[in-house]
Formats: sequence, structure tokens, C-alpha cells
Amino acid sequence: MKDLHTKTVKQETPKPTWLKVTYDQRKVDKMTHLLDGLQLNTVCAEANCPNLGECFGSGTASFMILGPNCTRACRFCDVPHGRPAPVDLLEPTRVAMATKKLNLKHVVVTSVDRDDLPDLGADQFVRVINEIRKYNPETTIEVLTPDFQGKTELLDRVIAAKPDVFNHNMETIRSLTPKVRYRATYDTSLKVLAYVKAHAPKDMFVKTGIMLGLGETDPEVYQLMDDLRAIDVDFLTIGQYVQPSKRHYQLREWVPMSRYEQYYKEAMSRGFKFVASSPLVRSSYKAREELEAVYGK
Amino acid sequence: MLKEVHMPKLSPKSDEYFFGTWQKQPGDAVKQGDILFEVETDKVISEVQSQEDGILKAQLVDEGAATKVGDLVATIEVNEE
Repeated sequence: MKDLHTKTVKQETPKPTWLKVTYDQRKVDKMTHLLDGLQLNTVCAEANCPNLGECFGSGTASFMILGPNCTRACRFCDVPHGRPAPVDLLEPTRVAMATKKLNLKHVVVTSVDRDDLPDLGADQFVRVINEIRKYNPETTIEVLTPDFQGKTELLDRVIAAKPDVFNHNMETIRSLTPKVRYRATYDTSLKVLAYVKAHAPKDMFVKTGIMLGLGETDPEVYQLMDDLRAIDVDFLTIGQYVQPSKRHYQLREWVPMSRYEQYYKEAMSRGFKFVASSPLVRSSYKAREELEAVYGK
Repeated sequence: MLKEVHMPKLSPKSDEYFFGTWQKQPGDAVKQGDILFEVETDKVISEVQSQEDGILKAQLVDEGAATKVGDLVATIEVNEE
């Protein structure tokens, strides 16, 4: 993990009091120590997630494969953009062993974008899924993938490895996508989700997530929900964008809780099987709950 | 025995935070898990829990002040076994 030693900069819009987490140093230190020994990157640390204290404190983490550096520089994201690392063929086994060591019932695997690789990183997802299954047959697996530039032959490979949940984030509404994301388009992401849903086994769920506070309006968010339901996306996560630094996309609004509740109702009424809508919701935050919700256990 | 409370690393990518509000005052009894103080990091407001049982003796950082990881923040008189 890179330690950038940055300062917290007072933002022009002060953080609302409900953007609050509890931190138990002893538990977090224990988890950090455990993860350091496993030589794995977590999206929790690389993306500087505000829920790190809670998730590490309860012994869970989301793994980020294919190195710490991303080939894209999306304006909302805190994962470093830089020279990508060589593909580590031992990484799949380490992820599988970490899943076992942490006794994870549900594991989330994401990656940086790897536009430099011929397979764009798809085969490493396959290897990781296979290794997790081999050593943890009871664990449900969720992948949170890049768009693989919309290449369906790459999506086919990941689908064939049968993750339980296939997540790809839309991140925001159509009009803001070019301002917020880099080399990714609204239509490519929609196409990825549509393709996966149409070609995946019936028991594989398709999931996406968006951030609020970027300047979106209600009708645009509802249009996004309609676009997702038109292709039968199952799960939706909605959370508050927190600007990582002054260099990143400027926060437009701390969205009040009432709007999360409103979006939750609107989304559920459109037929999503599971919706998580709250300021601190992130793609993989308490991800197991979505499967508990659909399976009723 | 007097135990020192130091500012924990609350954010993977930031080592300097703004001190928020004290949730315990000098002379207050504190238990492990009680919220001692709040800190604003780059991403969130973090409530920091006490790791000790005892009496809060001194608050060594002012509310609103800039504070770094490792700074001495408070002292707690720990209950002797």
C-alpha cells in the first residue's frame, strides 16, 4: 500500500454530522496486520474507504486484484493512476487463502482497470474465482469488474466462471458520466450489465452502484433506474460521493437522508430485488445482505 | 497508572486530521469502547473509542485543532488490577 501522507484539507462544504463512523483501533490494527501478511491489496485501503474501520473491525474486507495502480484516472476515484503492475499468478491463491483465513461467507473481488493487458484483466478474475471456489466451496463470490471495454468475449469468460454476483458500477447518471469517469461511457456500462444479465445463469445476480452528490437531479436518477430495470439489473447501491482531494471532481452536495429514502422507495417500486441506499453505502459494503435478502436467510 | 492516548491512523491515505469534539471531560469515568472524541478525516467524521477503563485525566488537543497521527491526545488514569 502506498502511503501518501496527505493532509486532511478543510472542505468548503463541511461534512454533515451523519457522515460519521466509529473506530476501534485495536480491531482495525489486528485486521491490518493480518492483511499485510497476506500481500494483498484491498479496495478498502486503496480507495480510502470511510467504512474501513467498521469492515476491518468486523473482520471483513474487499480484495482488489491486478495491482494497486489503475490505467484510468476517473475524477471521483482515489485509487492511484499509474504504471500497472505485472500480473501476479500467485495472487489468485493468496485471495483464496485470505478468504479462508478470514472465514468470509461472501467475498468481494474487484480490480483496477487494466487497459494495458490483452485480456484487460478478465482472465485473472477467472483464476481468482476458481481458486476461491477450490478452497472455499461454501463462500459466495461477488465480482466488481471494469467495463472490459464492452468486449463480450471477455465478459463470457468471467460469466463462465460463475460468480454469484456480477457487479459493474454505472457510478452516475448519463449526463455526468463524461465529467466523472474516464474512458468509460454510460452506454458501454449499460451494455456490459445487459449482456451479463442476458447470458448469465438464472441464479447469478447482476448489480450496479451509483454515487450521489455529483450534481444529479431526481429525473436523471429515475431515468437511470429505468434504464437499469429495462435490462433487468437485480441489485442497486446508492451512496454519498466524498471528494478524495481538491484535485478530484468537486462535490456538489451532501445529499440529505430523506433523498436516500425516496430513492430507495422509487427503486424498489421499479422492481429491483435489493436496494441499499444510504450515505455510507459503497458497492461492497455489507454485500452479503443482498443475497440474504433474495434467499431469505 | 497513567496511560497515554495517541491519535490513531484513521484513514489509509491521510495522516493529519482536524480534531472534532471531546465526548468525555477530565474526571469522567471511561470504559473500553466509550467514544472519547471525534475527528474529521479526509473522508468522514470518525468517533474514536477508548481502549482503556479508567478516568480521563487530561485533554491535550483543542477542538478544531490540526492533529497528526501519533500526537499525544489525552491521558487516562487506568484502574489498577
